Amino acid sequence: MNRSYKWLVMALAIPAFLWLVPTLWMVSLSFQPNEVLARTTSTTFFGLIPIPFTAENYAALFAFGQTPMWFLNSLIVAAGMTLGVLIVSTTAGYALARLEFPFKRAITILCLVGLMVPEQAVFIPLYTMFADLGWHNSYHALILPRMAVPIGVFLMLQFFKAIPKDIEEAARLDGVGWLQIFWYVMLPLARPAMMTLAILTFLYAWNDYLWPLVSAQRQEFFTITLGLASIQSNFAQSEGLGRVMASGVIASLPVVVMFLIFQRYVVQAMTVGGTKG
Amino acid sequence: MTGQTRQKRRITQGQAAFVLLLPFLATYALFLVYPFLRGIWISLHDWNLLAVAFNPDAKEFVGLRNYERVMWGRNIEWGAVASPLLQGIGAAGVALSVFLRRAGRVSKVTAIALGLASALLFVLPGFHPGEGGRWYDRRFWPTVGNTLVFVGWTVPGVTVAALLIAAALNRETRAMSVYRTLFFLSQILSVTVVTLIWQIMFSPRQGLIANVTEAFGGSPIVWLTDERFAMAAIVITTIWWSLGIAMILFLAGMQDISKDLYEAGALDNATGARAFWYITLPNLKRTITLVIVLQVILQFQVFGQAHLMTQGGPNDTTQVLVRYIYQTAFRDSELGRASAMAVFLFVIMGGFSILQFVLGREDDQ
Repeated sequence: MNRSYKWLVMALAIPAFLWLVPTLWMVSLSFQPNEVLARTTSTTFFGLIPIPFTAENYAALFAFGQTPMWFLNSLIVAAGMTLGVLIVSTTAGYALARLEFPFKRAITILCLVGLMVPEQAVFIPLYTMFADLGWHNSYHALILPRMAVPIGVFLMLQFFKAIPKDIEEAARLDGVGWLQIFWYVMLPLARPAMMTLAILTFLYAWNDYLWPLVSAQRQEFFTITLGLASIQSNFAQSEGLGRVMASGVIASLPVVVMFLIFQRYVVQAMTVGGTKG
Repeated sequence: MTGQTRQKRRITQGQAAFVLLLPFLATYALFLVYPFLRGIWISLHDWNLLAVAFNPDAKEFVGLRNYERVMWGRNIEWGAVASPLLQGIGAAGVALSVFLRRAGRVSKVTAIALGLASALLFVLPGFHPGEGGRWYDRRFWPTVGNTLVFVGWTVPGVTVAALLIAAALNRETRAMSVYRTLFFLSQILSVTVVTLIWQIMFSPRQGLIANVTEAFGGSPIVWLTDERFAMAAIVITTIWWSLGIAMILFLAGMQDISKDLYEAGALDNATGARAFWYITLPNLKRTITLVIVLQVILQFQVFGQAHLMTQGGPNDTTQVLVRYIYQTAFRDSELGRASAMAVFLFVIMGGFSILQFVLGREDDQ
């Protein structure tokens, strides 16, 4: 390409590098010995290059401490929530998009109005409700509230609406029932949309902070996001900076790996989540 | 086979819809509609978290008094020049929106939105305690103010930065897609990872920023505990965190601008910055408005950054609304007052959601 393009690419390296620095720094610190970090964090090139190098922080993290347990909790909650949201959203989205039934319009509007309710407007009553039921400190307490958020229904509704009618009509002429059409015809077609929704939900579950903070008071039920918050206030004294940074890296690893593999889906999911949820 | 088919035929469309809708409607009613209504119900009560937990009858119906306790005070007066700067901006905004609409420069919705926001800015800061009066809750309005300051810095910051970066990256080449990945990466981190990184970045003793300033002979800033810099630190953190989506939305908007426009512009010597100013910006108005509204909704709900990085301090300068709701409910156990604030939050967010919806509708036409 031409010369001005080359200049642009080179000029952009500066802001791009600056943007990357904080993340890079976290990774680099996580590979440096705690004794060194206690004295200075800028040994080699402001600490951005991990020399002296050690993997001890990661070894310690998995040998003792609660990070592995929190990590597992996050996996369970994120997987459960993703599955739950996929089930209720695909079914409801299909019904609202393709079936005719009484009060359809009213139910659709009722569902979509829920998009306006922010999590912060319902977390107090949800807390009292779950407390009355004795449900706090459990996986289902962390999973259930998100299943009620209509963003997934909205997403699937839009997707199913765009599928041509004749596919369905052909199946109807062959005498296939509505539920069978949903299961055998529509769901396979909906895979890309389901993928987007699954990633959106997984990211949300993994990164959510406010509801776990309120609902999970016992450390056994902390998610990794919540656990990381609980150790960061007194990081230097108790665990050592290197180990806390290693926790941060571990906490980000699944979403970063997911982002690098499914980049297009992740960007799409987050844009949908940002614009509608 | 025919028997089986006939059996399945028995499920009518309505029944199928019912079966398919039931799982969602049940969770929706239980975990969203009911809690929402219950939140309003709680806000009408004197409701202590611990007292009611031990004895369900320990709550008392007080009507709208919680709203009064949160938002009102004794001897509150209103003056047109009580807060000259803010009210002046508000009055100017109202005049501007009328003028712009008359001149046909902006759409009706934009004019109404701008006008309403300006009117609120003119009216609300006018309230102040008169002779011997005081606010019942001294911290509520300052908290709302801090939240608005946060939004006021973060939203323009994200929008302008994302717009410039998107304009530079708007090319389908390998290098640009790598850059896009880099700029988007921070967006997928959780709030606790982001605050963990930036808390230490800003640390005066261990922080990267302090290390760099010291290397160049400056003296480090105590970012998170200095009243002058704490909010700035949170704003910087948030801009770094939430640039990605805005950038992607801008890139999508730029894809829709016809290439012919740029080619025609190039004939008139409009390339680079001039093309950006005269072609890209005017054609991107819709997207810019959308991004701003989305960002306002998102950033108004800020919690984690203030909760984890500064704990609302120093001296309440970074205390934001959601954190105040959280504290009122779970530290002070005042569920009634906290719920009244949550309803307040919902009303503001709802207003912006409706605006977003209307803008989206215009978009479709």
